[in-house]
This record gives sequence, C-alpha cells and structure tokens, in this order.
Amino acid sequence: MKIVVCVKEVPDMESKFKIVEDKKIDESQIAFKMNDFDQYAVEAALQLKEKFGGEVIIVSAGPERAAKQVRQAFAMGADWGIQVVDPAVDAGDNFVKASALFNAIKSLGDVDLVMTGVQAEDDQAGLTCGMIADMMGAPSCTNIVKIEVGGDQKSLTVNRELEGGMNEVLDIPLPAVLSIQSGINQPRYPTLPGIMKAKKKKLDNKSAADLGASTDSKTSFIKMFFPVSDSKAEIIEGDAATAAKTLVDKLKNEAKVI
Amino acid sequence: MAKLLVIAEQRNGVLSEASMELCKAAKAIAAGMGAEPAAAAFYKDDSVANEVAKYIPEVFSVVDAKLERYTADGYAQAVKAVVDSQDVAGVLIAHTYDGIDMVAKVAMSLGWGVVSNCNKIEVSGGKPVFTRSTYNGKIQEEKSVSTDKFVASIEKGAYDKEEAGGAGSVTAVSASIGDIRTSFKEYVETMAGSVDISQAKVIVSGGRGTKEKDKYNDIIVNLAKKLGGEYAASRPVVDAGWTDAARQVGQSGKSVTPDLYLAAGISGAIQHVAGMKSSKCIVAINKDPEAPIFNIATYGIVGDLFEVIPAMMGEL
Repeated sequence: MKIVVCVKEVPDMESKFKIVEDKKIDESQIAFKMNDFDQYAVEAALQLKEKFGGEVIIVSAGPERAAKQVRQAFAMGADWGIQVVDPAVDAGDNFVKASALFNAIKSLGDVDLVMTGVQAEDDQAGLTCGMIADMMGAPSCTNIVKIEVGGDQKSLTVNRELEGGMNEVLDIPLPAVLSIQSGINQPRYPTLPGIMKAKKKKLDNKSAADLGASTDSKTSFIKMFFPVSDSKAEIIEGDAATAAKTLVDKLKNEAKVI
Repeated sequence: MAKLLVIAEQRNGVLSEASMELCKAAKAIAAGMGAEPAAAAFYKDDSVANEVAKYIPEVFSVVDAKLERYTADGYAQAVKAVVDSQDVAGVLIAHTYDGIDMVAKVAMSLGWGVVSNCNKIEVSGGKPVFTRSTYNGKIQEEKSVSTDKFVASIEKGAYDKEEAGGAGSVTAVSASIGDIRTSFKEYVETMAGSVDISQAKVIVSGGRGTKEKDKYNDIIVNLAKKLGGEYAASRPVVDAGWTDAARQVGQSGKSVTPDLYLAAGISGAIQHVAGMKSSKCIVAINKDPEAPIFNIATYGIVGDLFEVIPAMMGEL
C-alpha cells in the first residue's frame, strides 16, 4: 500500500505563550513538536505497511524548522517525504494549507490511503482531512479509532468515534482520506538506528508554485487574545501542605461536598 | 430574504441537542446579517423536519431513504440541493462528530470559506466575525471569511438550547441523492459493562499530568477511595491504557455531575470540560497557571499534584 501521512509542526502546548501585537505568538518562547494526533496517524500507517508492504510517505507544510518533525516520522519508520516550505502557504488559511498538501500528494501519482490527525493542537480546525479528500475526489472519514483492511486491499473497514463511547463501523473504498483519533494505537518511540537512518532519508522541499497550489485564502485572521473568564477559580495560595489543608477545610466547611 | 441555514443533526431519527443550540445561534446572528434563521433537515421522512420546526421558523426538508443515517456524502449533496434552491447566506453546522465529519466537505462543495469550531459568531457591519479556541484553549482568535457566504461549525455548549414551542413551516426540497461511497455496518458500544461513574457523588479525575500508570493508581485511585468516590480520567490517560475507557470523562466518554469533581493534571480541553462542567464543585490542581481548567473551577491550586494530593490525604 502507498500511504501518505500529513504531519504538522505545532508548539508544545505547555510552552509559555505570549501574544505579540494581537496577531501572533512569540515563537522565541516556544518549543515545537509533532502534532500529537499525527503521531497516531504515522503509527497507523507504519502498522499497515508492516502487514501489507508498500511505503509510507510524509507530507508537511511549514517553515524549514519543521523538517525536524518530518524526520521524527522518518525515525519512527516512514520512508521519505515532501515538505512544502513557502511563507505564502504558512500565512494561508486551512484551505491554502490543504491545497499545498493535496498538490504534494498529487505529485506522488496514485496513492491508496491518506491519513491526517483529527486536528492540529494549535489550530483545532479539523478541516484538512475533508478538504484534501474533496480535492482528491476521494471519500473521507474522520475520528477513526480502528482500521481493518479488506481482503482485496481495495477497501477498509473503519470505526468512526461518536459521542459517549459509541463507534460507527463503516466500509470505505480506497483511495480514501482518514483523520486518525488519539488512542487508536500506541505510537512507537524512534530507536537509535531509526534516528540514524532518518538523517539519510529523502525529504524534498517544494514551494506552492512548484506544486501548482493555490495561495488564495478563503478566510482571514483578525486577531488573537487570551480568553477572559467571568468565573475564575478561587486560587488557594501557599505551599503544597498549606494549600492542601485549606482546600480540605473549604471542601468540608464551605462547599460542604465531602 | 436570505436564509442563515442550520443543518439539523439526528441519530436514529432523534434531533440532537446540538441542533437546538444551532437554532438559538442562528436566531442571534441572522438579524444582524439581514437574513432569516432557517434549518435544513435530512431524513427518510419528514419527522425530523417537523421536530426542528418547533425550534426555528422555517425548515427545508430533503427526504430520501439514503438519508436515514448520516453520511458525509449524503449530507454534502443534500446541503448543496437546499443551497441551490434557496437564497442562503451562510450555513451553520454543529462541531460534533458528524459535524466535524462533514463541515470541510460541505464548504468545499459550495466553494465558500469555512471557519470551524467557533464558540461565538457576532455580526459587525453586516459581516460575521467568528471567535474560536486555539492552542488547546489557551488562546482565542477572531476570523472572517473572504467569500460572500460562509460555512461555520459551532462548538457544543457555546449557545444555549433553543426552547421548543414554535410551529415553523416545513418546505420540501427535492434532491437526487447520488453515490454514497461509505457503507454503514453497525454501531458498537466501546464502554459497555464495568463501572458507571455517572452516579458517583465524588469523582477524582487524573489527566496527562499524572505522568504514568503507577502514579495514576497511587495518587488518583487512592484519593478517590479515601473520599469514598470514583476515579476517572481525561482522554490521554485512557489512550495510554492507564485506566478503562468506561472511566473517561468528556465528549467521547461519560458526562458526570457529581457534588465534587477534582481534576488533577488535567488542562481542561473543551472536550473534557463538556463532560464535567455541570459538577457542583470543581477543584483544579495543575502546575500550569494558564491551564483553561482554572476558568471553570470553583477552587484551584497551582502546584504539583504529586505534592498536593499526598498532603490532602494527610488531612482527610
């Protein structure tokens, strides 16, 4: 099977976020990593490759720095990749990024399966899977927690997560685009030999123009800000022992819940 | 007048609560846009459309046996049919599992700009401004669309449910629903059996910050036992296999409303909060003072749960 996984670089969400001029985060304070959900997609692809053969190709759109995350996927076992490095794509909206990824995928010829994470931790949009599928003319399915390959390898049976612990089981013909939910597997850690090999794997750099991808956004960003809540918690101060004592007292005598 | 169109969501013919929230949102937003709130309902008969009509003045109904169950292909075609036959200024979809599954596809089939996972839509100078959570809920952003019309999905709980009581009109829209490429096999329950945490008066819940299975057991499980309550978890703990799926709280797990919900090492992502925000008293213990959980907690301790919880145990 020829499997493509879309991987995105995102900030570590435990970083200290600072907003500059209402419009961007101060990246000097940020550590970056691979989007968590994408790790599950990479693992799912590797497991399919181990069973059915073929190759796992990573496509990514992001600044040069993000090559580190693609190489992380290589170290896990992916074969090679394409990175769209283009400031116009980075500045674009979900549609522009999906166009870049789609055109990178198109340059690969026929593929059997494309996978993304359910959403990026930074943008939380969850649009890439459906947009790429539409551009490919392929069916899509989101929030996938189980994948089984049909006997002829021309279709999949997938579990789509629903509310409250329900799954919907569906057949979907290939080629298809899936968004992978966390928990579908336990993503492997790269091994030392894996990390060594990853350095030598092919990573092509492309611009939107190289791929013929649109950089015209359909949405515009206005501004960003920290959320303001009307009901902030009463923060209990002091060292752990003092705070714990105060909390237990409040739960017993003020809230009366224990 | 142009319509602001809610896409009604149903499972087994039952209208979802998220759809009622969308009706409320559409009524709040439509007037500023110079539009009227309306809905589109898709099912094997008119029953869902008639139900939606209790919440919104006008409903467009596409009836087709292929629409008995939600499918992305079926819904995208049905939305297109309604948009082609009516003057629609914007489409509102719930940011639920089905909504997430269809929203990009619907937007692409219409060629409109899409803003997903919104928690507020306000109209400024006749144009909608979309507010949404980013960076795990730590930062909010505002967006607009560059196209004349838009598709937006709205986070569950962002708007209150509209009250039933109206008697809206139902208009049939004919559509030829073509190829549906996915085929439904069955629904499966992944949390069957085992414990029911939804009845507990006290719940101690651990998240990613509990670090590993042994520590989760040592800290979270033991505190729950000491308080005579149940232990629970946020998604990452269940994903990692540290506890059973039946103990997962949130959108994809259980909804709980105990007297005391103690969240330790849980950042408070919206998917988790959806399952516990109605608890009577919420305690948050987290090292990160900016964790969104502190926005909904009653009491908070900014600190290391591995120090605070053992100290609490000593006080009990």
